[in-house]
Amino acid sequence: MTLLFKNILAIYQRELQSYFASPLPYIIAAVFWLLGGFFLVAILLGPQGILAQAAMADQAVQMGMPPSPPFDVAYEFNKAYVGLLGSLSMFVLPMLSMGLYADERKQGTLELLATSPVTNWAVALGKLLAVVSFYLAMVLPLMVCQSIALGAAEPPTGSGVFLLSHLGLVLLAASVLALGMFISSLTESTVLAAIMTFALILLLWLVDAVAQGLPGVVGSAIAHLSLLKHFTDFTEGIFDTGGLVLFLSFIGLGLYLTAQSIETLRFQRS
Amino acid sequence: MIEVEHLSKTYGSTTAIQDITFGAQPGEILGFLGPNGAGKTTTMRILAGYLPASEGTARVAGYDVHTDSMAVRQRIGYLPESPPLYPDMTVQGFLNFVAKIKGVPADLRQKRADIAMDHCGLTDKRKVLIRKLSKGYRQRVGIAQAIIHDPPVIILDEPTVGLDPRQINEVRQLIKGLAGSHTIILSTHILPEVSMTCDRVTIINRGQVVATDTPDNLTTRLSGEAAYELEIKGDVDRAQRLLSELSPVRQVTLLGLEHLPDYHHRLRVSAEADRALGAVMSAALINAGLELHELRRQQATLEDVFLNLTTTEPATGATAPPEALAELPTVEPTPEEFET
Repeated sequence: MTLLFKNILAIYQRELQSYFASPLPYIIAAVFWLLGGFFLVAILLGPQGILAQAAMADQAVQMGMPPSPPFDVAYEFNKAYVGLLGSLSMFVLPMLSMGLYADERKQGTLELLATSPVTNWAVALGKLLAVVSFYLAMVLPLMVCQSIALGAAEPPTGSGVFLLSHLGLVLLAASVLALGMFISSLTESTVLAAIMTFALILLLWLVDAVAQGLPGVVGSAIAHLSLLKHFTDFTEGIFDTGGLVLFLSFIGLGLYLTAQSIETLRFQRS
Repeated sequence: MIEVEHLSKTYGSTTAIQDITFGAQPGEILGFLGPNGAGKTTTMRILAGYLPASEGTARVAGYDVHTDSMAVRQRIGYLPESPPLYPDMTVQGFLNFVAKIKGVPADLRQKRADIAMDHCGLTDKRKVLIRKLSKGYRQRVGIAQAIIHDPPVIILDEPTVGLDPRQINEVRQLIKGLAGSHTIILSTHILPEVSMTCDRVTIINRGQVVATDTPDNLTTRLSGEAAYELEIKGDVDRAQRLLSELSPVRQVTLLGLEHLPDYHHRLRVSAEADRALGAVMSAALINAGLELHELRRQQATLEDVFLNLTTTEPATGATAPPEALAELPTVEPTPEEFET
């Protein structure tokens, strides 16, 4: 057991280290922060922003119009912003997951891993933990900025919804990364892995759209399987165990498929 | 230590190796020799547990490579055909990582890494990124990662590819130094390499074992005929006459004169195998007052040997009887070269 843990740790450390050695992760993080920062300002202070909407609602009441439903600025801001981070992440995640196995295959280092006393599971788990850690490191600074804005809210808001929505964000990212890791294990080309992962994400959006569009039992059945639907629930502060189980299932599925794909690779390699 | 029995591997309809049987005793260096595409890499990969065999069994240290994969993986060091390196890591960082996943205890890792780097001449490159290393150094890092955990069995797929002659020599010395305490199997397509390093040689061609023997026995079998190339200055007719009179010499031919200074001539001598012939020829020429500028025993690589084998006997197809090897030109490990 400790040996397994050590192996996972070794893979994890090497993988994390590789993010610091290559310029690509820096560029990805920089673009993510730039866009994340821009949208933080735009959603909060922009002409169509949350504060502007609240001010307009106030004005309307002062001018004697019937009061609109109560408007929780901090809540709406958190929901809109984390939702946006989720969409933004969808463009970033394929770039994070594309190299996980494709690079190993290209460099021939998969042969080293496959002939070392490490199980495919340990390798896949170490890699997934590393890439999720990197994603966390990308989200954390934006969380700090957001919490500064939320800290100015009057009356003060609890941190529950804020943390829950970000938990949803990280779970969504981990699910997509796990599936992206599997796709990366299928090819030697990082570009192909990125494109295929993005296609998968489009499919997830499609599933979400279909779930919303279809009435009745079928629609709600698909909605239960939609990652994005459950992510939206998390951003709205709704925690349900079903969503958590779904995310964890997708992560487990990604890990399982990756381990199997590496195993079968050895059987069909020419 | 290594037992391979009736091993076959097919990719779809193509057969990579067919019914291969060989073995290596503990502490032995076994050379695995064959031309490119003979199935060497496939066999190495099966031994390392990277590929499953289609038929037959392979056992390393008593464990079946397929069913007891983990036990085998713990006991082997493996250098694949292309060294498996992470370009963005330093030599030391990479070796440390390999030591970790090979299960070297934390307190021994630094020491083992130092020993491996020392063995492979990497100590002054320890802080260099692998991306910035030359091909020869990368190959050395590849060897270092195969020996870092001090495995009882070491599998090296073409360990001297891409190295310069001095490095090749160093690597051969290193491999020899590891023998005794380690069982080593190395593949190559260069016959002198096995003659110099290996205790026993298994030759494969087109996926089948052609011969298994000690290098000495193989060399005697192969050295039915010797070829020399000479460059002389002076009366070439006299030189040809002199050489033809020597008893082992069968034929002397005058080669073209291109790119040679005035009065220089190139001769090719084919003769029966005789280790002293070089000395006899040079003495004869010098006593006759001719200037000898170069005398070289022609080295045939195994690829030449196999080229011969496959072109002279196309009818027999893949199976080449070991006797056929006796008809091939000399393959000698040590070149005799005189230059004035």
